[in-house]
Amino acid sequence: MDGQLLSETFVELTDTMVADFDVIDFLHVLTDRSVVLLDVSAAGLLLADPRGELRVVAASSEAARLLELFQLQNDQGPCLDCFRTGQPVTAADLDAEAQRWPRFAAAARQAGFAAVQALPMRLRDQVIGALNLFRATPGAFDPANVRIGQALADVATISLLHERSMRHSDTLNEQLQTALNSRVIIEQAKGKLAERLGIDMTQAFSLLRSAARDRNLRLADLAQAFIDGTEPLTGDAAARARQRPGGQVRPAPRPSSWPRP
Amino acid sequence: MTVSRAGRIWGLIAVQAARRDGNVSAADACAAAVAAVSVTGGWLSAAGDGDAVHLIWIADVASDQLAELQLTLGEGPSLDASASGGPVLASDLGTAEAARRWPAFTPAACQAGAGAIFAFPLRIGAIRAGVLGMYRTQPGPLSTSQLGDALVFADTATLLLLDAPGQAAGGSGAGAGPGGQPADLALHRAEIDQATGMLTEQLGTGIADAFIRLRAYAYVNDLRLTDVARDIVARRLRLYPDPGPSQDGEV
Repeated sequence: MDGQLLSETFVELTDTMVADFDVIDFLHVLTDRSVVLLDVSAAGLLLADPRGELRVVAASSEAARLLELFQLQNDQGPCLDCFRTGQPVTAADLDAEAQRWPRFAAAARQAGFAAVQALPMRLRDQVIGALNLFRATPGAFDPANVRIGQALADVATISLLHERSMRHSDTLNEQLQTALNSRVIIEQAKGKLAERLGIDMTQAFSLLRSAARDRNLRLADLAQAFIDGTEPLTGDAAARARQRPGGQVRPAPRPSSWPRP
Repeated sequence: MTVSRAGRIWGLIAVQAARRDGNVSAADACAAAVAAVSVTGGWLSAAGDGDAVHLIWIADVASDQLAELQLTLGEGPSLDASASGGPVLASDLGTAEAARRWPAFTPAACQAGAGAIFAFPLRIGAIRAGVLGMYRTQPGPLSTSQLGDALVFADTATLLLLDAPGQAAGGSGAGAGPGGQPADLALHRAEIDQATGMLTEQLGTGIADAFIRLRAYAYVNDLRLTDVARDIVARRLRLYPDPGPSQDGEV
């Protein structure tokens, strides 16, 4: 464990929690750092929606296969178990979990993961979600890393309740739903940008994220403005293309078999 | 668990519509919601052009007053819910916090008989359809299960508002009734949101119309919404602007 990196990360995370705090961007930073700090391949944060679903709010990668693994846990998997019990759930070798989670274990193996862990996001007696960690190689999770992972999950919980006092469950539920709706806006904006520029969802997400930072806007606000047409993002797309090898902004690929332009 | 909740709620809305002897509407969803989550009354406002809102349903006189007060005073839970994209749950209007949050509205709302107000934005990401407001004469929070139900009622009202004739072109018949795909929609899928965003570009429409077209395509072709969305995201399927579905097709 890199102690220097760890303390830098916590300083960075607490520095972010100031006025104009962007909870979605913050949670993305947190999942990114989790991958590095905890030596895992992928990380995601799932929140428990009062509607009765677990929904992903941030992930270290926007790859569809990973998002699918989060969604699948509405039916079965470590996050669902973690959410129900309030306890960490670990599978050091997914090959041995075919009985415990038949669909989830198979899908996770197919996505290239061999071990998984879910750490609870707890607020007093209530579990509001989980930090989900995936590793490509089987084996036990280092107990020291598990403690740090739990600390990161705790920070994520606090960040969701940052803006006002957490006396009321009202406030928690308001924040939670707002965060979940923000995630939907971002998905919609990813689709629009991906289609416009002929790029994939991961590229679209990082472009949106850097555009929001450049403008000092919350990610969801930037995404909303892009969808509403008040923020065209043309400059960002061009800058991005220049950085790409052979970089030109290309329109969406258009196979000749399509019925008409 | 989600599917059964969505199914139960669609059932309650259908019963409400049958009692009224009409087609299922967003107002039925709101009336059924008020009964199911044990609040005193409620109101439904639909988003118009720009910041305009239209009050399209009220449960009682006090609901009307509470909705109108917010429009007149320019502050209140409905407006905050609309702005933030998340619900506003003011379970006790007698607190100092409520008075700080809405200095003009809070005393007026108490005067009108409200002890608690809950406002749910009718939104799917960037799509804004309106706000469902509820009030209780007595203060007190919604229980977890009441909140869960209220959110699903609000989701349903959102779909019904988007599908209402005149709300947007091509919206009618896109699976609005219980024969549509409520269970599919209740379970959230990132692909549906991504496909909706992609369709704004393919169709050259706003986000609400793109979503309506996506659902209409699934409905007309008897496909699951998630499968259609997945095909669009994978760029196996593309939709075209009007004259429409005859030209939509596989890539």
